[in-house]
Amino acid sequence: MKFKLLELRPLRVGTVVVATLLVAGWAMRPLENPAWQAVRSGQPAMKLDSLQGALGQGVTVGLLGGFRAIVADFFWIKTNSVWSDNDLPATQTLIKLVTAIDPRPLYFWQNGARMIAYDMPNWRIVGAGGYDVVSKAAQQQIEREQSAVALSNLNEAFGYHPDSVLIYVEMANVYLNRLKDVASAAEIYHKAALQPDAPYYVARIYGELLRRQGRNAEAYAWLKQLYPTLPKEAKDSASGRQPTAKPQPSAAEIEMAMAPVVLERIREIEKELKISKNQRFMP
Amino acid sequence: MGMTTGGVPFSLTRLLIVAGNTFTEAVRQKLFNFLLLLAVALVASAQFFREFNFGSSELKFISDFGLGAMVFFGSTLTIAATAQLFFSEIENRTALTILAKPIWRTEFIFGKFLGVFAVLGVFCALTTLLLAGLLCSRENSLMALHPDAFPGGRIIHYGDLMAMGMLQWLKFGVLAAITLLIASFSNTNLYTVVMSFFMLVICHLQYLAHDTYAQVASLPLRLLVRLLGYVFPNFQVFNLADQVATGVGLDAGVVLRVAGYALAYIAVIGGLAVYSFRNREI
Repeated sequence: MKFKLLELRPLRVGTVVVATLLVAGWAMRPLENPAWQAVRSGQPAMKLDSLQGALGQGVTVGLLGGFRAIVADFFWIKTNSVWSDNDLPATQTLIKLVTAIDPRPLYFWQNGARMIAYDMPNWRIVGAGGYDVVSKAAQQQIEREQSAVALSNLNEAFGYHPDSVLIYVEMANVYLNRLKDVASAAEIYHKAALQPDAPYYVARIYGELLRRQGRNAEAYAWLKQLYPTLPKEAKDSASGRQPTAKPQPSAAEIEMAMAPVVLERIREIEKELKISKNQRFMP
Repeated sequence: MGMTTGGVPFSLTRLLIVAGNTFTEAVRQKLFNFLLLLAVALVASAQFFREFNFGSSELKFISDFGLGAMVFFGSTLTIAATAQLFFSEIENRTALTILAKPIWRTEFIFGKFLGVFAVLGVFCALTTLLLAGLLCSRENSLMALHPDAFPGGRIIHYGDLMAMGMLQWLKFGVLAAITLLIASFSNTNLYTVVMSFFMLVICHLQYLAHDTYAQVASLPLRLLVRLLGYVFPNFQVFNLADQVATGVGLDAGVVLRVAGYALAYIAVIGGLAVYSFRNREI
């Protein structure tokens, strides 16, 4: 009987250990949960479904924790290596993997989408015999397919970078340059232009895309309301007025805003719309 | 072995003697020096690898790289040193000599733990200070080169970096306690090392199982995973490194909670290691 009890000792010890850990884990939830929520909100979660295709790496990445950004960088180097070999499946998988490991840098989303939308159609067409062999319709079909993948990736990026202007611009460019869909491109440029941190060129391009669609009246209204918001050369010293308290824009900012170009376009549209001199925009 | 050993009361002095010996033995080990050198070399080389950085800012890259090196080599050192220092006593039969004297097994286990914990403290302090020095030097250069990029002053919160070093130290403490718990019933060093690495992986990834099984329809399976989640500590709560070099400071409340979480686990798992060791025939 004593022998049997001794035999049961490891089982008893194991049960006590597991039971104590269970109770301790439950009791420590109030300490763990708020801390865990804070950690989670500070960093995007690892997307398990995206990493399942690369189980080995997934485990390593999870294990290394702090190496997350570096692991993503090294996978990005690998992505560029397979990209230079025109290896479509590997490139597409690695882009997915890199953005799953570290979705924070916009760089990965932007450049990944460019590879998918602009380079991959070329690889597929060349792989199918070249531009002379593949029919125009088939080429367009390939471009549409690759654009859809790129746009889907960019849409996913909004999960980590809500209303990011650069992601909007990237999407709009795919519509504009790949799909030749000016209306959709204009719509997305409009969304980008409405963001508070939008660069000046975004609003200008939106105006141009409206003109390209023949929507001159809308373009005119848009540029007219845009022009007063743009930073311009200060006229205070020339007019002898007192300088305002408002901080003066830098020379670089004035250059990027390109207010004279916007005014020139306003004048062009006025001519096209045959707007009389007395009704013209007066800045 | 009961709560008193031959009528001798528990002694903090004896515990500290065991800890001191463990510390000396650990520092003399080639493994400690080798891993420390590797970690220091990797942290120091972070600035040479910054050319490989594509996504984040340069300071963030150096910070991630340095803290990553600390986590990787620190975890390896924790498991290897704890198992080695415990089993050297068993294999050399010195444990028999020590425990034949009026010394509690609690003093032995916690003495071992404190010795390893002190070694890990030295490791974390050295790597954190080196990383802080590197970041400070690079930040100064960048501030001189591009003052416009630092409108609000320094981006790195050096106090937070120190807090991160301390949290990693506490995490290694939990891992050392887990390794001691495994060693307390295991027969070989190799088994202890392998099992401890498995535990490290499980504790890092248990939240993924939680997230995945939270959507599973089967109630028994969901309950089982929830219970398993309680058994293993969540090591991801120590992963606050992402916020160190982004200009966003760490929340002191969160740091204190995580520190409390680690200390509570060290006490519980250390206590279990003592319990298990007291039931072991040497």
